[in-house]
Amino acid sequence: MKYKRLLISIFLVLFLINLGGGLFASSTKVKITFMSTKGEINQQLEEVFKNFSKDYPNITVELIPVGAGQSPFEKLSTMYASGNAPTIAMIDPNDVEKFKDNFLDLSNEKWTKDALKGVLDDVTFEGKVYAFPFALEGYGLIYNKQLIEKAVGKFDPNTIRTRFSLERLFKNLEAKKVTPVVISPLDWSLGAHFITIAYATQSRDYGAVKKFIADLRAGKVDLVNNKVFNDLLDTFDMLRKYNYLKDSPLAGTYEQGAQLLAQDKVAFWFMGNWAWPLIEEVNPKNRDYGFVPVPLDNNPNNFFNRSIVALPTKMLCIDTKNNSKEQQEAAKTLLNWFVYNENGQKNWVYGLNIIAPFSNVKITPNDPLAKSIVEYAKAGRTFKIPYAILPSDHWPIIGAYMQKYLAGRMDRKQLLTEIMNYWTKAK
Amino acid sequence: MSSYFSKTKLFVVFCGISIIAFLTVVIVPFIYGIYLTFTNWDGIHKKYEFIGFSNYIGLLKDQVFKNSFLLTLKYVFFTVIFTNLIAFLLAYLLTSGIKGQSIFRVIFFTPNLIGGIILGFIWQFIFHNALPYLGRHLGISLISESWLATPEKAFWALVLVTVWQYSGYMMMIYIAGLVSIPQDLIEAAIIDGANKFKVLTKIIMPLMAPSFTVCLFLSLQRSFMVYDLNLALTKGGPFKSTELISMHIYNEAFLSQNYGIGQAKAFVLFITVAIITLIQVYLSKKAEVEL
Repeated sequence: MKYKRLLISIFLVLFLINLGGGLFASSTKVKITFMSTKGEINQQLEEVFKNFSKDYPNITVELIPVGAGQSPFEKLSTMYASGNAPTIAMIDPNDVEKFKDNFLDLSNEKWTKDALKGVLDDVTFEGKVYAFPFALEGYGLIYNKQLIEKAVGKFDPNTIRTRFSLERLFKNLEAKKVTPVVISPLDWSLGAHFITIAYATQSRDYGAVKKFIADLRAGKVDLVNNKVFNDLLDTFDMLRKYNYLKDSPLAGTYEQGAQLLAQDKVAFWFMGNWAWPLIEEVNPKNRDYGFVPVPLDNNPNNFFNRSIVALPTKMLCIDTKNNSKEQQEAAKTLLNWFVYNENGQKNWVYGLNIIAPFSNVKITPNDPLAKSIVEYAKAGRTFKIPYAILPSDHWPIIGAYMQKYLAGRMDRKQLLTEIMNYWTKAK
Repeated sequence: MSSYFSKTKLFVVFCGISIIAFLTVVIVPFIYGIYLTFTNWDGIHKKYEFIGFSNYIGLLKDQVFKNSFLLTLKYVFFTVIFTNLIAFLLAYLLTSGIKGQSIFRVIFFTPNLIGGIILGFIWQFIFHNALPYLGRHLGISLISESWLATPEKAFWALVLVTVWQYSGYMMMIYIAGLVSIPQDLIEAAIIDGANKFKVLTKIIMPLMAPSFTVCLFLSLQRSFMVYDLNLALTKGGPFKSTELISMHIYNEAFLSQNYGIGQAKAFVLFITVAIITLIQVYLSKKAEVEL
């Protein structure tokens, strides 16, 4: 009997403590969740969130990682389907519109004024901004300067202005027993990055590019005789000829590309600045890398022959459906911390190796690839891919066609016809 | 009346929770899923229309779906045959009294304890790096290039890993079946002059029919539904040539944002698997003998 009473009182005390704790916590502490779709920086993000909580002790941020290669759209739509959406979702620009009914209107935030020109275009609907541009990313042909200079002497990336000049360098490299280039046969690299250059370079005017896509959907474009597509594929054929994986073009992995480049096995790799952590990990001693554009033709004055792709690739959106007002406010605080807090800027740019798409953030990441992109951007030699108007199954489907083309299982006419067919059926 | 009441109470106490759970997480979503096959829902938007049977009519014309389905049938055919053949042989060997047989049982069972995703990544490394390395240094041309780079070999890579994973599990079921056969029957057969092969085909195999029923059912169902291994090992590549049906359905629903069509495909898959496994269980039940 005594024991029973003792037990009950212990339980009661524990219960009260628990209840008090719960009340106490809910009145001051806010926990928000952050869905990350940049798998390569998840570890660093955890660290940044800890630093954020040092500045704002009442907010904790929990990371929800999305597997590399899984599309952000599928993850977020399953999370919404289960009524468990993250407070902040990191998604691709083209997905913002689909979910925008669930997202907080951010038009009145101060940072919308400080964002770089054009980065909010694709996430603004009827004058309302629905997303925060998280990272500026770019891609092209990454070169390994040390290796090139060891093999053929002084190398100035600005001399590569045509397909012909690039091929001449490749030939020189090959003569010195250096494999010129590796094409990693990943569907996202080929389908989302490589072939999409052909949409963007139809015109320097973004409106004309949009019209081109609309015409594609309507079946009004003849791709087989499209000059830009054929130019780009001519370049692709040239790269194919000097490819490290020539004998088994589909056997490569993403990691292998970084290894080959960093271990001085190839001079060029078609990839973007997100690969830097991996390259650095393989060989921390070499820091002489940069981008050259994927040349389209042999005209040295063609703008696109001298420009690389750079655009905001990841958007942060705040959910209003499954998250409370406090959580939404806390999420806004985090975004403002990134842009306006000195500590936040450092964590964002240095901690995550990210090029911040805001004019007031003066610091740039300490990695050669990001520096190269910033240089191109300063010179006005960047262009963006119309991702916002590409359907979400564009990369896996077109990527599969590109793999077939790369492996020689499809000729150019078939490839271009399949792309046309895809567009007439696309949503 | 009171006995009826107490019976109901007993029923509710013992079955109520499981029935509610079963209804809410299996039956209701299933029926709702069937309902969605008649809509053009894209998976996120709140609005969608009722479009009748057009999703199903679209399936008939969908060449990619057909290819994926045929590929899955081919995959199921080979994995079921190889898995059960190897599992039975292993079970037979490991009950024949060879030295260290229980250690071998554990070794062969282990692949089953590793999840499909991890296993896929391990084998991806083996196919991409380890085997080509060996192949190049030993001059074996069959493995000197990654198996995952060509569609034909990538398919066999999938079959190989599946068989490797499941045969240990099926082996355990076969061992249980083998061990439960009364020894006196076998002894009697040997005294009557039956050789080892006769004993195997006329005594052991018929008596093990229940094990065959279970193993065939399990391997059929697992092979039809495989997703994790497919995802981790080949991701459906190269160029979507190894996209098995589950992966195709998932991509249709969540990547191409055709939730209604994806559901319709899933329902067709459900019907197919249900029919095939029911026939299989019916036939192998008939083959079972009572002692």
